[in-house]
Amino acid sequence: MGFWEFLQAYQDKIILEFFRHIKIILFSLPFAVLLSVPLGFCISSRPKMAKIVIYLSSVLMTIPSLALFAIMVVLLAPMKLGLGMTPAILAITLYSLLPITRNTYIALNQVSPKTIEAARGLGLSSSQILWKIKIPLSIPVIMAGIRNALVLGVSVATFASLVGAGGLGYFIFSGISRANLKMVAIGAVIVSGLGIGVNYLMLLLEDVLTPMGLKNKS
Amino acid sequence: MLIELKNITKKFDKQTAVKDLNMKIEKGSITMFIGPSGCGKTTTLKMINRLIEPTSGDILIHGKSVVDMEAVKLRRSIGYVIQEIGLFPHFSVYENIAVVPRLLNWEEKRIKERVDELLHLVTLDPSYAQKYPMQLSGGEQQRVGLARALAADPEILLMDEPFGAIDPINRLKLHDSFLEIQEEIKKTIIFVTHDINEAIKLGDKIAIMNKGTLVQYDETDEILHNPKNEFVENLLGRDRSLKALSLEKTKGFVTHEGYVITGPNDDQGSLREKMKKTRSEQAFILDENGRLLGRKILVTKKTGKQEMIQDSNPVVVDRNNNLVEALSKMLESGEHQLPVVSGRGKFMGVINLSHIFAEVTAAEAKNTIKGA
Repeated sequence: MGFWEFLQAYQDKIILEFFRHIKIILFSLPFAVLLSVPLGFCISSRPKMAKIVIYLSSVLMTIPSLALFAIMVVLLAPMKLGLGMTPAILAITLYSLLPITRNTYIALNQVSPKTIEAARGLGLSSSQILWKIKIPLSIPVIMAGIRNALVLGVSVATFASLVGAGGLGYFIFSGISRANLKMVAIGAVIVSGLGIGVNYLMLLLEDVLTPMGLKNKS
Repeated sequence: MLIELKNITKKFDKQTAVKDLNMKIEKGSITMFIGPSGCGKTTTLKMINRLIEPTSGDILIHGKSVVDMEAVKLRRSIGYVIQEIGLFPHFSVYENIAVVPRLLNWEEKRIKERVDELLHLVTLDPSYAQKYPMQLSGGEQQRVGLARALAADPEILLMDEPFGAIDPINRLKLHDSFLEIQEEIKKTIIFVTHDINEAIKLGDKIAIMNKGTLVQYDETDEILHNPKNEFVENLLGRDRSLKALSLEKTKGFVTHEGYVITGPNDDQGSLREKMKKTRSEQAFILDENGRLLGRKILVTKKTGKQEMIQDSNPVVVDRNNNLVEALSKMLESGEHQLPVVSGRGKFMGVINLSHIFAEVTAAEAKNTIKGA
């Protein structure tokens, strides 16, 4: 069977797994953002706590993806949630914790103290400083963190097929077990393409959300 | 008395930043705070708008204690300028200037008028309204910072080393336009600096601080001629009589003799006649609005023949330049008479070298009498 014929034969399956893959990432994203961004805000003015949180999330990231999925399965098994979407979403959310939290923390702390001082001196209240100054100035860096987390999520989500959540990992792992290189290649190429595409789309979104004055155009 | 500091003390942990400070600041004047770093000048400034709360003592504005006012409201009623980085980078020039009016819920139409007015005041083109801080030079950013502080027309302006990050040449230009602006707005300005020349040039009064206490607080003139102790003397430097010269603004020494005024298209022959008659060496060419376009000089050749030379880019003195700056321009250009212009390029008259010398002699005499 040639490459193109193979593609045609698997067309439906490819489309199905492609959208499953995206579904896993899109389901994890809100959890990741809603958990990490507030966490980043929370630690932004508490350096000691920040050290601990960032250290712990770095430790999480050093756990190999496969092992993390395995741990999720074991941990969730007693609740009968050990297989399917739940472990996949949980694992990807945990992986996203570091890039988003760290970037949020850095973003809020890179706002120049002189800018904050000027804002205070002009009579902005603390909440006005947060919403009008700190957050708009932090958006580009926070968005970069979310982008990193998403791209990372695309690759990590390949393991989801091992816990029964499906996704493009199906082609890679099934291909390996059947010694079908075409299948492996198709899975790998589409995952890579998806990663690159997501990165590009997020760059566009970053550009839209970045306040005018911060863009490097004159 | 607009601002009164009463027994102000500020302690950070165990260190005393300001010790039992008593001061009265008059309405409509520029008071310069100067001293070595860590002397408490910035701390004092920030206590006035309660960015820092005093440990003990009281600050009164119009006889009312600032502690009784809501901090946020107090700050909105006082202009505040810091080094250039204080502009909000994600706001356009318009939005930066509009910050306080918007906090005070002004109507958008009124804000727009005010922004236009302020851009004009700080001599920036109206097209700057839509630019972003990143697109401006340091000096332009500083002008916007000043406009922003003045937006809601506060009575008091606090300035914390506003020109500190600007190169010396542009700093001199900013000084001139700052004085020009103050002439128009007549605010009560408290200005922190570490540059004694800046303090002398801009200040009506100077407050010299050291180690948290007020060493001397007097009119600038008084401080230069009568330094209280060695610390003040050292701060002023050895060239006090030259510095005293910098107290006098060029505009006080402008004369209207010894030159001729002409239009751009006036007849050469009659101009020469006029110059001979008044024994003038130069004629200044003005446009219909009184702006200086250039000058004509009568030069005597070796043959004894006189020739008229046109100079379309003459050296000029700003009327807010002090006498040291005027003198330095004369030495550089080799002229003993220079035209004086206003900030907007309008011709005001001329300044003569002999008048500057007369002033030095007078100041010397004053020092000798006081020293004796």
